[in-house]
Amino acid sequence: MPGVTIRGLTKRYGDVAAVQGLELRVEPGELVALLGPSGCGKTTTLRLVAGFLKPEAGEIWVGERCLSSPAAVVPPERRRMAMIFQSYALWPHMTVDQNVAYGLRLAKTPRAERDRRVAEMLKAVQLDGYGSRYPGELSGGQQQRVAVARALVVEPEILLLDEPLSNLDANLREEMRFEIRRLHETFAITTLYVTHDQAEAMVISDRVAVLQDGRVAQIGTAEELFERPRTRFVAEFIGKTNLIDGVADGTGTVARGRLRLRVASTDLTPGAPVAVSIRPHQIELAPRALPGTPAAPDANVLAGTVVRASYLGDGVDYQVRIEDSDVVLRVAGPAPPRVRLGERVSVSVAPGACVPLPSDG
Amino acid sequence: MTLEAAIRSHPSRLDGLDRSAPVWVLTAAVLALLILLPLGWLGYMSVSAEHGVTLAHYARVFADPQLQKALWNTVVLAFWSGLLSVAIGAPMAWLSARTDLPWSRGIRSLIMASFVTPPFLGAFAWVMLAGPNAGYLNKVYRSLTGADDPLLNIFTMPGLIFVVAIYTFPYVYIMIANTLGLIASDLEEAASILGANRFRVALTITLPMVAPAILSGFILSVLQALALFGSPAILALPAGFHTITTQIWALFHYPPKVEMAAAFSVPLLLATALLLLVQKRLLGRRGYASVGGKGAQRRAIPLGAWRYPALLGCLAVLGCAVFLPYGILAKAAFSRAWAQPLTWENFTLANWSFTFLSSSTQGAIVNTLELGVLTACVGAGLAALLAYVTNRKLIVGHQLLAFLALAPIVIPGTVLAVALFIAYTRPPFLLYGTLWILFIAYLTKEMPVGYSQSDATFRGIHPELEEAGRILGAGRLRVLREITAPLAKSGIIATWCFIFIGVIRELSASIILFTPNTKVMSVVIFDLKEEGQFGAIAVLGIFMLAMTFAIVALMQTLLGRDVLGQRSSGSPAGASAPG
Repeated sequence: MPGVTIRGLTKRYGDVAAVQGLELRVEPGELVALLGPSGCGKTTTLRLVAGFLKPEAGEIWVGERCLSSPAAVVPPERRRMAMIFQSYALWPHMTVDQNVAYGLRLAKTPRAERDRRVAEMLKAVQLDGYGSRYPGELSGGQQQRVAVARALVVEPEILLLDEPLSNLDANLREEMRFEIRRLHETFAITTLYVTHDQAEAMVISDRVAVLQDGRVAQIGTAEELFERPRTRFVAEFIGKTNLIDGVADGTGTVARGRLRLRVASTDLTPGAPVAVSIRPHQIELAPRALPGTPAAPDANVLAGTVVRASYLGDGVDYQVRIEDSDVVLRVAGPAPPRVRLGERVSVSVAPGACVPLPSDG
Repeated sequence: MTLEAAIRSHPSRLDGLDRSAPVWVLTAAVLALLILLPLGWLGYMSVSAEHGVTLAHYARVFADPQLQKALWNTVVLAFWSGLLSVAIGAPMAWLSARTDLPWSRGIRSLIMASFVTPPFLGAFAWVMLAGPNAGYLNKVYRSLTGADDPLLNIFTMPGLIFVVAIYTFPYVYIMIANTLGLIASDLEEAASILGANRFRVALTITLPMVAPAILSGFILSVLQALALFGSPAILALPAGFHTITTQIWALFHYPPKVEMAAAFSVPLLLATALLLLVQKRLLGRRGYASVGGKGAQRRAIPLGAWRYPALLGCLAVLGCAVFLPYGILAKAAFSRAWAQPLTWENFTLANWSFTFLSSSTQGAIVNTLELGVLTACVGAGLAALLAYVTNRKLIVGHQLLAFLALAPIVIPGTVLAVALFIAYTRPPFLLYGTLWILFIAYLTKEMPVGYSQSDATFRGIHPELEEAGRILGAGRLRVLREITAPLAKSGIIATWCFIFIGVIRELSASIILFTPNTKVMSVVIFDLKEEGQFGAIAVLGIFMLAMTFAIVALMQTLLGRDVLGQRSSGSPAGASAPG
């Protein structure tokens, strides 16, 4: 089972570079999600890997084969890949069986084996008995499963998915996430998965590559990206966060006005601009009147006032204005609410939850 | 596989081109040859002199009082028939799209019948109906009133304008009905709730929203009238006046003055191009008129006491365009003398046997069918390839190809014929006198319609359907055969039908390009008129109409919608001249 290596990949449309100098390595059997907002180059990257586009620079290797370079592009049909499309791209003039069997027919698989594998695959995606239907007679979720079956039945070296769940309704989408993850664990095919939905990326993939302006801004497991974002863009894109712009005050503290925060770093350059990312759920609120649970000895403890409290059922979304500063923090507190609107509170954040980011990122 | 091996196994350097490349390049070349060669010759001939270039032909054309007169007549004809088309088409569109007009589906079918009726057949029918002496309506009038003078004389400018308008108003109807269909009733109801009455809503909300459609419908009708040859030739020539198209035709009479015909054609070409440009601009700005889209709710406006008067008005128009002409054609087809009452003594089948057994008409029917089938097959194939290339952006300059494919829309049939005559009466292509020159004329003329049809077809086929095949291991040509072709099939057959209908009725180019051995049905009809053989004309006309309606029925089944609805989205395809 080969992996995928992308080196310095660049694709321009006219003057606009959709992908520029993208570097990515997908280990054999790994599922990597390409995550980013629209226009970040994720779909272009996928189509470059599929061979539908020719790069202006860079190379795409699968195992020992160089499939794309500015000099030559192996056409899609000779790449031993399979792809699942946003539109599913089921052929409306063929039955489910014919759709799924198409790739095997091209590979000249003997009739008996073809029928067996198609039947097995339809069973794997829970569609046994639907073989003679036409795609138009299936629900969205079923069509999605046919598309999955058609891609997997050929046992591709590489599987590509282009926002495959974006046309499903919310409930089904969540169900299919687990389904795709389950199938990946069963077949362990090296997979590239394009999505703009961070929750989807985090559930499905082994690692997530966050793309920004045609480059990989950061790649890592969901946890790494969430806990230790390396750029402002990643911090904002993955989950909700509070960003506080300030200046490094020492090697481990950041100042904004009279506000001082100890952060999860000890090698800042004093005087350099730094942004600090604090996740709403990593902030603790306590009524100031009560001593409450004593915060960890090194925690940042600030005084604030609750200026908004929205009850959400499974939690409370607060906005807290920090005293003596222009900072308003969003805080995810537990339900039932422990503090009220207008109440003066003490706000504590562990230094480990204050992630410093280069301010320009 | 190493990089070197990959390069060896896939030598093409172009995106997605592979082994199918020659097909696309050849398609592009054929198209360019088809259009650029004749137009190049036309332009060259209009300024050619024995030595170098000259504007003398233009000077001669525009100094000639007779040609000036023809020019002016064309302007009068085009303007008034455009205006009359709007006056007929706009209210009918509003009635059938927005109100509870009874029997509106039937009205729509009849408008479609008027749309596909060859205008020159309508003109013939109206000669039989309203000719000053033998015209049927005049005879009825005389016998009712005892008057000596005819009630109607179709051989006049107003007569010509009338006959042109009753066959061009469907263009206006289509433009407006489709636009009205896109406007949600909410927009009108929003005005009602603010206190505007029905009349005020129509005047201040509905009308401004469809204004661009009305204007562009007007332009389409004007273009039709400009390009028309048949009706003016049948009605204006006996009345003693010319239009541009008939004048160009006359310039080909012995001795042919080709340079002058060319010089006279160029202004017509430019005028058409300019008008189409204006129309395209109007439609481009139409964004605000198509508010709503598919989700729009439409509720019929009650006409109340006006329901039946409105229906009567529609039927009166359609009576003139369909019932009366078809009736007189049917009567003439079975009569010894068409002007006499339909009695047993006057009944005959001789017209039918004459038409189908005489060698000259037989030959023309065979020629027409051969040309129809050949042009439709080649045209549908070429249009499909072109639309595929432009939709999938397969070669550099594909936008130019789309432009070229649509370009013949600005070429009136007569002008195209002049250009082809010049281009193919000399080496390297000596085609004049063969069916091939007619084939090329039809192919060029029908290319815009065919291309827009195919373009819509391929636009409806998501590229991912093909990519799904590629990534599973099928080459481009295999994907084309196994996935694209089956999906595009009904669209391509519909294109075939459009082209076939266009070809069998074509007159304005054929009348200049035919030779005694290469006559087609429309030309024979025109000839028979000179001999006064109205019975045979009627038979051929009915035959032509029957074929047209059969094909239209086939097309509607294939597309699941009617021919009028087909021309939505303001595609200028409707502008291809039928006469």
